[in-house]
Amino acid sequence: MRLYDLIQQNKKLKFVDPDSGNSSSISDFHQSLKIEDFHGLIFVYSDNKINSIEVFLNFLQSQFTMSLLASQLNLQFKRSLEGVYQPFYIYDPTREDIEGYEKYSASLSISLFRRKVKPKYSIHKNIKLLLSTSGTTGTPKFVKLSDENLVKNAASILDYMPIKNNDVTPLNVPIVFVYGLSVLTTNCIKGGTIICTDKDILQKEFWKDFNTYKFSTLNGVPYVYEMLYRIGFFKKEHPSLRYMAQTGGILSAALIKVIAAYSEKNNTPFYAQYGQTEAAGRMAYLPPEDLLKKGSSIGFPIKNGKFEINKETQELIYYGENVFGGYANGKDDLCTFQKSNNLNTGDMARIDDYGYYYIIGRIKRIVKLFGTRLNLDEVELILKNNLGGETFICIGINDVCLLIVHLNSSLKDTLIEKVLKDKLNLHPSSLKIKYIKNVPKTPNGKIDYQHLKALYYHNSD
Amino acid sequence: MSIQKKIEAVIAEALYIEIEKITDDLKYQEIAEWDSMSHLVLVAEIEKAYEISVDMEDILEMGSVAKIKGILKKYQINV
Repeated sequence: MRLYDLIQQNKKLKFVDPDSGNSSSISDFHQSLKIEDFHGLIFVYSDNKINSIEVFLNFLQSQFTMSLLASQLNLQFKRSLEGVYQPFYIYDPTREDIEGYEKYSASLSISLFRRKVKPKYSIHKNIKLLLSTSGTTGTPKFVKLSDENLVKNAASILDYMPIKNNDVTPLNVPIVFVYGLSVLTTNCIKGGTIICTDKDILQKEFWKDFNTYKFSTLNGVPYVYEMLYRIGFFKKEHPSLRYMAQTGGILSAALIKVIAAYSEKNNTPFYAQYGQTEAAGRMAYLPPEDLLKKGSSIGFPIKNGKFEINKETQELIYYGENVFGGYANGKDDLCTFQKSNNLNTGDMARIDDYGYYYIIGRIKRIVKLFGTRLNLDEVELILKNNLGGETFICIGINDVCLLIVHLNSSLKDTLIEKVLKDKLNLHPSSLKIKYIKNVPKTPNGKIDYQHLKALYYHNSD
Repeated sequence: MSIQKKIEAVIAEALYIEIEKITDDLKYQEIAEWDSMSHLVLVAEIEKAYEISVDMEDILEMGSVAKIKGILKKYQINV
C-alpha cells in the first residue's frame, strides 16, 4: 500500500494551523489543489506551515516526484537548484515571481509556480522523494527515496514508537529533514492531531501552543534538548507530555542524566534513535528503559533491519528495505533508481556483549554541527575556492566545533568566518581557526589528523 | 567595563552581522543569521556584557530587537 493510502485510512487525523486555529481533516486536503497530474518534478520550499503540508499531501497523492527544500534557503541557491533540475511546479511562499514560471492559484489559499515551457522528464518510476542531506547548504546532491522506502521505514518506527490517535504532535523538526518527515509520516498514519508550525522552542508562541493544544510529544536533535535544558524545561512539569524522541547524534552524558531523571519522575519515556537520510530515516533505537545505563549506545536495529560490522574497517553496515536508491547530482541522475538493501553508513561501530551497538567514529569525513551534516571535504573545497586557492584542513571536534587549519600567516580569521557564514551559515562561535607553518604528516605520508586535532586543545591565542 | 556597550553592538557581534542592519523591528528567525543557535550566543553575550543572568521567560520574550531593549530595562540597563 502507498504511503498516501495508509494516511487516508487514519480517520482521526487532523491538521491544525495554530496561527488561525483552523483545523483540517485528511479528506479536506484530498486533491484540494488544481494540478496537472503526470510524472514530473515539484520543488516544495516548505516553511512547515499548514499550506506546505497541504502541498506535500497533494503531491504525495499524485504521480509527481517531490523535492522538499527549506523555504529559508538562500535565493541564489534556490535559483541554481532550479536551473539544475528544472522542476515543473514550484511551491515557494517567500517569492512573488520566478523567471520562466507563471504563478497561479491552485486553491483559494495556495499559489503554485508552473514552468512556462514544459520540460521533458525521464524520472524513474520508483523515485517519490528527493531529500538534501545537508538541508541548508544548497548543494544539488539529493538522496533518492521511493514510496516503499518511506512506507517500510514508517512501519518500523511505528513498531516501537508509542504513537496514538489522541496524540498532539508539533512539527517542530522541519519536514525537509528526514527526521521531521518521519515524524510527519508516522503521525499521519497512526497519530491524531498534527500541529503545523514553523515556530521553534525558543519562541514564546511555541510554548503558548504547547499549552493551548497540550502537546503530547516532542522531537528534536541533541541541540534542541540542550536548548530545552538551557531554558529550564526539565525543571518543570508538563502533564500533557507523554513521550519524547531524539535523533541526529549522541546526547552528552550530563544531559542524558537530566533527561533520564525527568523521564522517570514524570513517566515520560525518551527514545534515542539513530538514522540517516539514506535510510529514509531510521536504522536503530534505544529502548527508553536503557537510557540511563546505555545512554551512549544507539541500541538495536529497528524491526526488519539488521546491522553488521565490517571486521577490517569497523564500518557499520545496515540491511533493510528502507535503504535509498542512490544519489542525484543533476537531472540525468533521475532516470535511475539503484534498489539496494544494504547501506554503508560511514560510521564505525562496536557491539557489546549484550548486543547494544555503539558509534565510535566516522569513516566518511562528516561532522554534525547542531544536527546538520557537513562533509569536511566539501567545506575545504568551499574555502579553497573562495579564498584564492589556499590550503585548508577541516576537522570536526566531537560534533561541537569545526577546527580549520590553514598555512597562510597573513590570512585573517574574519575572512574565513565570512565565507563559512555566507556559504554554509556557520556561526563563528562554532569555529576554531589555527595557522600552522607545515602540515604534519604520518610516517606513511598522510595528513596527521590526530596531531592537528591537538591544536584545538592547545590554547595559544 | 567603564562605558556600557551599546546593545546594537552586542547584537551585531553575536549575530555576526553589520551594525547598520540592526533596527528595532528586526525579529528572531527573520534573517538566517538570527537562528536558534545564534540566539543562545546572543543571550550569553548579553549576560556577559551587562553582567546579568537572563531568565527563561525573558529568553523566550527576546523575539525582536525592540523586545530585547524592553527586557534590558527590566534588568535596569539603559540602552
